[in-house]
Parts: sequence; C-alpha cells; structure tokens
Amino acid sequence: MTSPQSVAIVGGGMGGFSTAHELRHRGYEGPITILDPFGAPYDRPPLSKDYFLQERSAEDIQLIKSEWYAEHNVTVLAEKVVSIHPNEGVVVTEADTKVPGEVIVLATGGVARKLHIPGNDLDTVLQLRTKEDADKLREAIAGGKRLTIIGAGLIGAEVASSALKHGASVTLIDPSETPLVPAVGETLAKRLHAMHTEKGVTVVRGIPTEIFVDQDGTNVRTEDGETYAGDVVLVGIGIIPLTDLAEDAGLEEDNGTLVDEAQRTTHPNVYAVGDSSRTRLRDGTLLRRAEHWEHAMNTGKTAAAAILGQDLPVHSAPWFWSDRHGVHVEGVGAMWTEHGETVIREVDGVPVAAFRLNENGELVGCAAIDDALAVRAARRIIDRKITVDPAQLADPTFNLKKLAK
Amino acid sequence: MSEAINIGSVDDIDEGEAKVISAAEAGTEDDIAVFHAEDGNFYALNDECTHETASLADGWIEGTEVECPVHSAKFCLKSGEAMCMPATIAARTHKVEVVDGDVLLYPNVPVAEQA
Repeated sequence: MTSPQSVAIVGGGMGGFSTAHELRHRGYEGPITILDPFGAPYDRPPLSKDYFLQERSAEDIQLIKSEWYAEHNVTVLAEKVVSIHPNEGVVVTEADTKVPGEVIVLATGGVARKLHIPGNDLDTVLQLRTKEDADKLREAIAGGKRLTIIGAGLIGAEVASSALKHGASVTLIDPSETPLVPAVGETLAKRLHAMHTEKGVTVVRGIPTEIFVDQDGTNVRTEDGETYAGDVVLVGIGIIPLTDLAEDAGLEEDNGTLVDEAQRTTHPNVYAVGDSSRTRLRDGTLLRRAEHWEHAMNTGKTAAAAILGQDLPVHSAPWFWSDRHGVHVEGVGAMWTEHGETVIREVDGVPVAAFRLNENGELVGCAAIDDALAVRAARRIIDRKITVDPAQLADPTFNLKKLAK
Repeated sequence: MSEAINIGSVDDIDEGEAKVISAAEAGTEDDIAVFHAEDGNFYALNDECTHETASLADGWIEGTEVECPVHSAKFCLKSGEAMCMPATIAARTHKVEVVDGDVLLYPNVPVAEQA
C-alpha cells in the first residue's frame, strides 16, 4: 500500500499528531481523522511546568494553530473510540460515529499507574496526565496547601518544583534513595535529588502502604510506620499503556501493542505509535517500552513513512529533558552499560555532566545540567560511534562540538 | 526599507556562532540573532524559538540550520522554516548583507530565501 484511501488516528497526543503532520509533510493527500475525546492535540510536558504555573495557556500548548487542521484537511473529532475494525477499514466511536480508516494508527498513550494500596481512590488522591488533571491539581493546592507526592521521577520532581512556586509545602516520597540513576547516572541524579531538600521540599525515602483521612488531612503511611499528613496527594509512578482497542481487534500485545520497526502491528493495516506501542525486533527480542515525548514524535514520523511506503527515517539516540528548581536537565543514549566507565565533568567542584563510555571507548550516553549544547554534541558523537578521550570529556574548557564534527 | 545596522566585522562572529542584537538596538519587538552559518553566509532570525521561549542564538548551528537548545526544534536559517517538530511555526527572518567585510542587518526586512 503506497497511498491509503483514508487514515484514522486514534489519540491526539504527540504520537497521533506527529503521524498526521508527517503524513501531510510527506505528501499524503487523502482524508486524515484524529479522534480524541479531548479534542485538538496539545503538548503534555508543560502540564507539570509552565501550564501548571499558568505561564502558558491552554491555547499556548496546542501542538499547532487550530487553522492548520482545516488548511491541511485534517479532521479532529472529539469523540472516544470504542472499537476498531481493520478488515472493514473503519473505527467506531462511543457516539456510534463510523470513521473511515483504511489505515488505522493507534496513538492511545496510557493512563496513570495506580497505587494498589488502601485509600488510592480518595478524592484527594490525584494524578497528572491531562490538562484537566493539571487544572484540578493546581486548584487543589492553591493557597498554601500541603502536597504529598508519591514518586520522585520526572513528573513528581517537576511538580514538586512547580508546587513550591504556587506556595504549597511539598513532601516527596520515593522508595529509592536516588531516583533517576538509570536516566542520568548516579552523580547527576544525586545532585538533582539533593536540590529538592535545598529548595525546601521534605524528601522521604519510603514505600507507601496506605492513604487515609483524619483530622490532620490526607495522610500517607509508609512501610516503616511513619505517617505524612497533607491536603492533597499526587501519585506519579508511571503509566499503564492503553491497549484495549488493539486487544479487542485481535492484535498482539505485551505491555504495549506489539509493533515492528516500521510501527506496524500484527495487522498489516494497523500501526501503533508512542507510549502504547512496544517494538518487537525480527528475531523476537522485545525492546523496553519507551514513554518519552521524543519517542512519540519519532514513532509517528516512522509510521507516516511506512504507511506511504517510503524509506523509514533514521532517528538519533533517544533523548529526554526535564526542568525543575530552575535547572534544565537533558539525557541522551544509555547511561548504563554492563561494561565501561562513566566520566564526570565538573565546574568548580559541581558535577555538570556525565558521560558513559562502553568497553570500546565509544560514547553511548550523556546527561548534563544546564548544558544543552554538550548533550547535542554528545548525541552526534553517539550516533557517529566516535571514540572519545575521557580526559577531554572531563575537561570543562574542552568544546565537545569539536569531537562531533 | 529600514536602515541597516552595522553589527560589526565578519570576523567578529565565528562560523557556527551567533550574535544577538537586542530589540532596543534593532528597533524591533524581539531580539534578533545573526548567525554565521557553515556555508559561510550570515542569516538573521528572531532570537526566539516559535515552540517555547528559548534563545536560538544559543542553539546548535549545523549547515544552514539551527537546533533550539531546549527542545531540539530545527529552523532553516535561510527561510526561517520550522524543519522539525515541536516547532511548527516559521521563525521570522531579517535580511543580512555583507559589505566590505561588515555585516549589515536590516531589521524587519524579511527574507524569503537568501542565496
């Protein structure tokens, strides 16, 4: 198939939008429909940062100006899809609207993972996945409330920082001593985690066992019997991929709808992209499911190329960013390998970047705080498999750009 | 056509680097970044990523594109076109000329595509 009659995209996150945008960018002229109960696609990273802080409005976080959809003949249907019928080339919504989709793209994302402990369904236990969630959380902590965050990963850490700016007092609970080690390496993870305490967040290492309400408010009890009182609890412990539509249609799934390297599912006319998809290589190896913004964008681009029978784009080493407590952190590639070494770059005794080399001396991962150019250079060095000199990496006066050329 | 501003000699901006001309100096609403691209030519864009506030002058210049230092959006220096999501809106261009070894910036004079 080189040009399908129609494309139906289920889900309007970055993955769904990226697919639609790239299909048009690559010259596809047939009808495209994006179906999402929340309507036009918007960017989610600002939900824990500038949207949460009301520095950007709902309009500001739209992925593209609303005129674009009409100008490019892309229909956005604010309805929930209840079933897909790839053999008939149609998807069906809750309102029983039947939308043609000779090709169907599943960009269904995921739902916030729940804590399976007593009290997890209390009204004061919130999650952050949508714009509505962000509005609700902001409202709930207004006026100097006490926020307890369970999970100190990217979302938890970013909300902790943003909530301080809203005047909330924040308790951050995580089972690990230093969250984010796999993403940025131990040295930078320690520096980042220590910032919470420096900025006034109460940091707790513990495993929550129960949430209950009493005269002190909404309390979180941890495994060691300690209790942390607050007004609102945010649970930020990852997501569960939404694969119901794929499963009901008989597609294979395993913690994500299984796709090949072209994002094609086990049905030839159905593709899956973003958080809800998981790649199975030709030899059967299952890759770890990725939950990053860039992954959603890239898989959308790949699906668009595959749908049109074009060469698949080559993507760089995976990359992510986070913003908290006034610093910008980025990571690229893999900061963990079984063999190899980690090189730390320091400025005035403070670690600013970490580099992971494999046993052949090739750079495979880099993370940096407030040095985006170093990460951009590192990404190119990783992509080109350039052997590097650890002494140069450690030298803050050495410009990495020289190695990347 | 607005007056040109002499922003200095071509040697003042290394290849692969950029210089920011403030809005006050340029008489414009936004700061302008003047880039010395790897094709040897000079180009100017509003110094702000159209996706989210970030200085493009701090970005990674490769060939005739600049990559935003914050979320990796890419812009064509010649046309301002957004080459890569998350940016989907073009950056505003301003005409630049090199005369007798000096870089002349014409604020608010857009450039469809420079040679």
